[in-house]
Amino acid sequence: MGAETRNLSLRLSLCPYWHGWDPTAGEPQSPLIAEDCGLHRRYLRWRRVRIARPDRDSLNSMNERPHKEQFRFPRWTNTIRPHLGLGLTVAPLYLIALIYYAFNPTTTMSGYQPPQPVEYSHTLHAGELGIDCRYCHFTVENAATAAIPPTEVCMNCHASILTESTKLLPVRESHNSGMPIKWVRVHDLPDFVYFNHSAHVTRGIGCESCHGRIDHMDQVAQEQRLSMRWCLDCHREPENHLRPVDVVTTMGYAPAEDQIALGSRLRLENQINPSLDCSTCHR
Amino acid sequence: MIPRWFLPVGIITLCLALVPFAIVAKIRSTKSTETRPQIIFDMDQQPKFKAQAVNGLFADGRAMRPRVPGTIPRGELQEDDHLYRGKTGGEWATDFPMEVTSRMMQRGRERYDIFCLPCHGYTGDGNGIVSQRAESLREGIWIPPLSYHSDVIRSKPVGNLFNTISNGIRSMPAYGTQIGTEDRWAIVAYIRALQRSQNATIDDVPAAKQSKLR
Repeated sequence: MGAETRNLSLRLSLCPYWHGWDPTAGEPQSPLIAEDCGLHRRYLRWRRVRIARPDRDSLNSMNERPHKEQFRFPRWTNTIRPHLGLGLTVAPLYLIALIYYAFNPTTTMSGYQPPQPVEYSHTLHAGELGIDCRYCHFTVENAATAAIPPTEVCMNCHASILTESTKLLPVRESHNSGMPIKWVRVHDLPDFVYFNHSAHVTRGIGCESCHGRIDHMDQVAQEQRLSMRWCLDCHREPENHLRPVDVVTTMGYAPAEDQIALGSRLRLENQINPSLDCSTCHR
Repeated sequence: MIPRWFLPVGIITLCLALVPFAIVAKIRSTKSTETRPQIIFDMDQQPKFKAQAVNGLFADGRAMRPRVPGTIPRGELQEDDHLYRGKTGGEWATDFPMEVTSRMMQRGRERYDIFCLPCHGYTGDGNGIVSQRAESLREGIWIPPLSYHSDVIRSKPVGNLFNTISNGIRSMPAYGTQIGTEDRWAIVAYIRALQRSQNATIDDVPAAKQSKLR
């Protein structure tokens, strides 16, 4: 299609805003031709579409110097043009890498440390005093959930230790009123995942393997990412984490022998064959 | 040919491209109090109540409902006085309602270490770490546990010890809800073993090993 044909069709097109049409006049008038409408022409120029003027048409053939309103890449860009393909490859890779890194469960899930209604310190209770995890989370060996202990368990000791402490005020209030303390759940799997604590603890997966060094946490934070791949890694190779059942609650457990050797032996002895079926967890 | 600004601008662009990674690295290495993003919210948080969930329908907010007072769940009628209350014929039982096995003793030791050790200590002389710590606070309200090895405690029948664990005594709280019935009996068995260990005579040592001790 020649430039002239295109320019002609542009010239003859009507002003889309109907400039020039006067509705107060008695009979309908046709709007201005686009080229004759000042506003519309400016708009077209802004869009970098040149409206050919009859007196310049002869100059406007494709071979000649372009009109200065048309953008032309500077000559030096020819030097880098062969490398543009590289840029076009790197840019998507960059985006993919960034999205993978930013939406990785380690980024989004681990490190969650919500403030709790009571300043309870695991460093003191589980670390310094060395109270077994199961003293408070006493359902863990029998039930799916390692229950957050009822207020009565706090009061086992704090009925006669630090009875005036302001830090323990919410505990005493809960004890007196019967309203539960609103602890914030830290390790919260999605609702479409079923997890059973007793199945893991009674087979020798230590608390530490999933929850980290709780005895070093003044305020509990999620250490592991608890993603599906993370679960499956251990279900495929449980020997990396298996330990004797009598030390499941030990923090900082270091086996005397090689972990893989110990884990493999325990796996064989106790016949631990974790299921990889979908319905094991998604039930 | 290539303008002079091209190289600096390119380097600056590359550096700026690293900024998002630096931000993500910062997020990864710091703790956050914000709840995690949930992409498909109604899958992550389904309209159902899991254990210990909150239900606003009830005044106390508990989705798990307490038992109705005065009712007994099917199969949980605790008829056996000996097993559940440590009594035979109205008196404290002097024997165990089950056979005392090595396995039961192991279990008792494990449960003792979880639930009793903090106050009563490894040997049962009443100087557990929690007790020591409570004493060091000097609040004047802590009553240290009695030693298991006094004649008074040693002469108590096992049923009485079982009842003490279940329902508490003086300032000791009741552990009936935290420890299962069989486990409480196992702990009693282990306490008996502790008592014997601290009051042993040379005659308790097998004759073959007696010479080593002399």
